[in-house]
Amino acid sequence: MSSNNVVVLDNGAGLIKAGIGGNLDPTAILPNCLARPLSSKKFLHLSDLNATAAFDLTSAAVRRPLDRGYLINPDLQREIWSNLFSNVLKINPSHSSLLLVEPLFNLPSLQRAADELVFEEFGFESLFVADSPSLVHLYEASRSRPSNGVSEQASLVVDCGFSFTHAAPVFQNFTVNYAVKRLDLGGKALTNYLKELVSYRAVNVMDETFIMDDVKEKLCFVSLDVARDLQVARKPGRDNYFRCTYVLPDGVTHTKGFVKDPDEANRCLTSKDGAPKDDMEYPEVTEKAEDRKRVDLTKNEFSLTNERFLVPEMIFRPADLGMNQAGLAECIVRAVNSCHVYLHPVLYESIILTGGSSLFPRFAERLERELRPLVPDDYQVKITTQEDPILGVWRGGSLLASSPDFETMCVTKAEYEELGSARCRRRFFH
Amino acid sequence: MDEDTTTSNMLRRMSSRTRKVATKMVAALASSDNRTQAALARLEALENDNPGAEMIEINSDDDASLDDEDQVYTKKQSKSTKRKTRQAKALENAKKAPRTFLELLHEANLESLPPHLPSYLRAAVGPPSSTTRRHFCTVCGFTAKYTCVRCGMRFCAIRCQNIHNDTRCLKFVA
Repeated sequence: MSSNNVVVLDNGAGLIKAGIGGNLDPTAILPNCLARPLSSKKFLHLSDLNATAAFDLTSAAVRRPLDRGYLINPDLQREIWSNLFSNVLKINPSHSSLLLVEPLFNLPSLQRAADELVFEEFGFESLFVADSPSLVHLYEASRSRPSNGVSEQASLVVDCGFSFTHAAPVFQNFTVNYAVKRLDLGGKALTNYLKELVSYRAVNVMDETFIMDDVKEKLCFVSLDVARDLQVARKPGRDNYFRCTYVLPDGVTHTKGFVKDPDEANRCLTSKDGAPKDDMEYPEVTEKAEDRKRVDLTKNEFSLTNERFLVPEMIFRPADLGMNQAGLAECIVRAVNSCHVYLHPVLYESIILTGGSSLFPRFAERLERELRPLVPDDYQVKITTQEDPILGVWRGGSLLASSPDFETMCVTKAEYEELGSARCRRRFFH
Repeated sequence: MDEDTTTSNMLRRMSSRTRKVATKMVAALASSDNRTQAALARLEALENDNPGAEMIEINSDDDASLDDEDQVYTKKQSKSTKRKTRQAKALENAKKAPRTFLELLHEANLESLPPHLPSYLRAAVGPPSSTTRRHFCTVCGFTAKYTCVRCGMRFCAIRCQNIHNDTRCLKFVA
């Protein structure tokens, strides 16, 4: 092993993706927060995603170092990183370089704080700061085949993350920063919205961040026709194929919540356009008897109907929530329109969808349906979903870190000490 | 006994804080555009980490920094060492507490940048082109035709209106 390995760190507000440059997958994916379960007095590190099963995270309080996507609490981040570097990645910062993914338009004061953290607290040998859209483009362009349609020259990266959603045109591996458009809605707001709805209508779950994240990931989907689906959700009994039940953990037999009947929950996803075929309904008659037995558990479960699609719906129509912001489709159109006219057809043809919130079923399909009427007829619209939207940015970073001239692009510790943060930052062009 | 006072102190602090929030709500209601303010407060709440546990947060932070051993010691020491006044504690907390992103954003003074420079503020997508807004019933989630005359929330039927009046009218969060 060379003395100099590159740590690639996609420091998301929701999940940290960290690993060694050159690998296909990150070594660690862990929530970027400290959690304090009810049974503990201290905030604990969650050293990987599965650790959430080890602790009972019911009603756990959470502290996050990032707020609205930006690193505002370096002290807390230092704790999390030092646990990450020493216990999970097992690397020595003073013999490594760091590729850090920062959000777009980071404030100068926060950049300075991040530099201090990297060089002074951890003593990394060198640092490269990247932004996520260019890394996603780099990764997709590198795998570009004639079939997948991603142009090597330019693409539009739609990053639907934890704190916000960006539509960012990338041209020749540089993010066109004057054309980036941001929608202030992401996974966190959606989870909180779902919490609010469920707490009012069924069980109070305002404290259950981890459980509701799980509910959102398992049960929410994007509707292709809201008006029709609302009609269906109103129906009683088994005609309402959206209704499904989630069982909350009871702390005795199971510490994690689960979907009561996964088949029932997936009924609405089975067919192409969102309406299940008629023959799908026959097997459910047998479940009816089971239905009646359920009553004794009522305190521990809640059912969802229209919440399942009205929650992700907010990304497409934030105005419904009372936000004065345009929806995702319009966000994309505005981002493209801020670029040079020659780029428009290329950008529309290679839209890359990434970020954890784009994992809702039928997200891409709905986006295409919304986008098509807004785009001039003679342009093709092609939306590429990433293989793994959560890891897309990290993989791009890993690719960049393994490129031969990566070392020359970095700022070294000596340079930082000589010139200070602001001067070094100019090298990264943002 | 000393322990007793601290816990009662904590309780007092907790309750005073709840009251503060309540007065804020009252102020929001009293102001002319209370409905927009309430809507903004609600959007703000969507970005919260611990929406339910907000009020305990500051007190619990102190506990979090203590090690288990320390807690044993503090029991012994608490009589000899001078206890910090509430003010001093609050000051220390304020210093320790990280500032929110919005405060930092305000401090960065991005408005003063020349208009051609892209910045956080200019990257926001801006208002939608059509102002039509679909309304969903705040009680059951279906399309809502009616507006509450007192607080402006939406509901779809008289059944939902009754539930709304009983539980949620003039309150902002569940």
